[in-house]
Amino acid sequence: MPSDGPTPLERFINGILPENPVYRQLLGMCPTLAVTNGMKPAMTMAAAVAFVLFCANIITSLIRGLLKPHLRILVFTLTIATFVTIADRFLAAYVYEMSKQLGPYVPLIIVNCVIICRCEVCASKQSVLTAGADAIGQSIGFALALASIATVREVLGSGTWFALPVLPAAWPDWVIMVLPPGAFITLGLLLGGANWIGQARARRAATG
Amino acid sequence: MDTISSLILIAIGAALINNFVLHYFVGICPFIGVSRRVDMAFGMGCAVTFVISIAALLSWTFTYFILQPGAPLTAWVWRLLQPDATGTVDLSILNYIVYIFVIASSVQLVEMYVRKFFPSLYKSFGVYLPLITTNCAILFACLEIMKHVSADGGAAAWGLHEAMALAFFGGVGFTLAIVIMAGIREELDHCDVPAPLRGAGITLVVAGILSLAFMGFTGVDRGLAEAIRRSPPAAGSPEPGASAPAKPAQRSRP
Amino acid sequence: MGNSGYIRQGWLVLVLAACFSAALAGVHIALSPRIAANKRDETYRQVPALVPGAVRDRTREVRLAGRTVYEAIGADGRRVGWVVPAAGQGFADRIEVLIGLDAAGETIAGLWVLEQKETPGLGNKIVEDAFRGRFAGRSARADLTVTKAAPATGQQILAVTGATISSESVCKIVNQAVRDFRAARSATEAGHAQ
Repeated sequence: MPSDGPTPLERFINGILPENPVYRQLLGMCPTLAVTNGMKPAMTMAAAVAFVLFCANIITSLIRGLLKPHLRILVFTLTIATFVTIADRFLAAYVYEMSKQLGPYVPLIIVNCVIICRCEVCASKQSVLTAGADAIGQSIGFALALASIATVREVLGSGTWFALPVLPAAWPDWVIMVLPPGAFITLGLLLGGANWIGQARARRAATG
Repeated sequence: MDTISSLILIAIGAALINNFVLHYFVGICPFIGVSRRVDMAFGMGCAVTFVISIAALLSWTFTYFILQPGAPLTAWVWRLLQPDATGTVDLSILNYIVYIFVIASSVQLVEMYVRKFFPSLYKSFGVYLPLITTNCAILFACLEIMKHVSADGGAAAWGLHEAMALAFFGGVGFTLAIVIMAGIREELDHCDVPAPLRGAGITLVVAGILSLAFMGFTGVDRGLAEAIRRSPPAAGSPEPGASAPAKPAQRSRP
Repeated sequence: MGNSGYIRQGWLVLVLAACFSAALAGVHIALSPRIAANKRDETYRQVPALVPGAVRDRTREVRLAGRTVYEAIGADGRRVGWVVPAAGQGFADRIEVLIGLDAAGETIAGLWVLEQKETPGLGNKIVEDAFRGRFAGRSARADLTVTKAAPATGQQILAVTGATISSESVCKIVNQAVRDFRAARSATEAGHAQ
């Protein structure tokens, strides 16, 4: 059977770094900035996004033959909203404190561009296996992005990592890091860093 | 006076102190994408304010009358179907689905309106107008309203006027932030920004500095509430508290 | 295409909506008891810490003058104190607290901060034991005030360094709540005595 588009393995690997949802595609910034003041909320959010992305991709891929052009965004939105509600309830039932800390950012996964984009670009056009691989790859990429920002913010801002102290008590916490300005500046500088690495690699590939 | 003062506090809170973009991180995608020119930014801000107000109106109505636990319309329908049933019907599980559909419909409405009455504006918006559906700010406003309509704790449930105040002035705050950012970016075009930071990188760093500046507004609503509370010179009568739980108490001032 | 075309296209949306609604209803029925228990536990978990001698699961909810307060019951089934939820404006945003009182409502037994959004590193030190412990043992019969120097009288509380407004806000919230509670209790008791 002729392959239509990237293979599952390609989708999986692309999602982690080359087409990283935050650093390359610049999608899903809202949770990236909001929940990365600690590793625990960041990883909980990454898990929730992974669940929703995986389920939405699978369902969309299963019904891709039935989707009509006018109504497909509606169908994506309905699917995503349902799974986000389920994820939100599970979080409230089993990790209530974390659910309160994440607050409105879990329902905001519904309008997270990452998921709608993956449904549109990949799941509505390719098989269930490819869609699943794509979801897992993008989720790992998203989790890596969140982890990088959360590490910087939590270590510099509270001296802890996953709420375990990693810096000596004499470290004056850079409180700004856990506040909104720190989120913006950290993401901006890390984005600049990622671009610099990408441009250096492209230069080396062009000359070498 | 009490209602107006609480509305003023909600408005200032939404627009300045807890600015949607710079404090709550919602609406970042258009904030980075559309903030290149001041006129486009202002147009986008106005469109978002318009959509957010309509969406807040519809979502408050749905939440209050249909979705919240013990909602009037749902309870009435339930009593019709099951006259002997006790307990409340709780449709709040459908909240998020209803909100996103309300938002999608509001965006459609605004799109039709803009296409009919402002065709040049519609063309300059291009693809960004339908993308307002995925603007986190609007869903966020609906979620904030939902949080306050299902009242628990000491605060009273929000009526329609409080919900509209939050939504409209949240939109105004978004417009403010995006126009300031556009003005700064127009200047940045003449600067020598390092290549890796060009585009989203420098925008985010500038947004961080803006957010720092807006943090200076913290406590303004509290000071304003104190000032409003002290101004009615009624000796011995219960003074309404703008943010504290509304329970008049005979206070002896030391 | 016509209108029938939309109906033909819309059947998928309707079928999906029906399936998803069923799934959501199932999730709701399965999880909402657990979520309600979590919400209740937020308060109940603090009761033994706030009122010494209280047994967590024996706590009773009581409506007093339109507000919900909690009666802390000891192992022998008798009331050992009260837990009063209170809220008000802090420096940055709302502060929600739980105040533990003794059985007569005369002395503050403890304080717990449920929710606050004060400045990290400064105002949010109100959640630490160092500040909250200063409320224990204070008389509930008069207002508490905040002082930046060492407290001179029993009704003065040492503020958190660099967070005077947050500390004052907590004091104000406690004062208002305790006053309202004592007024409501004496009104109820006067009603019972008649």
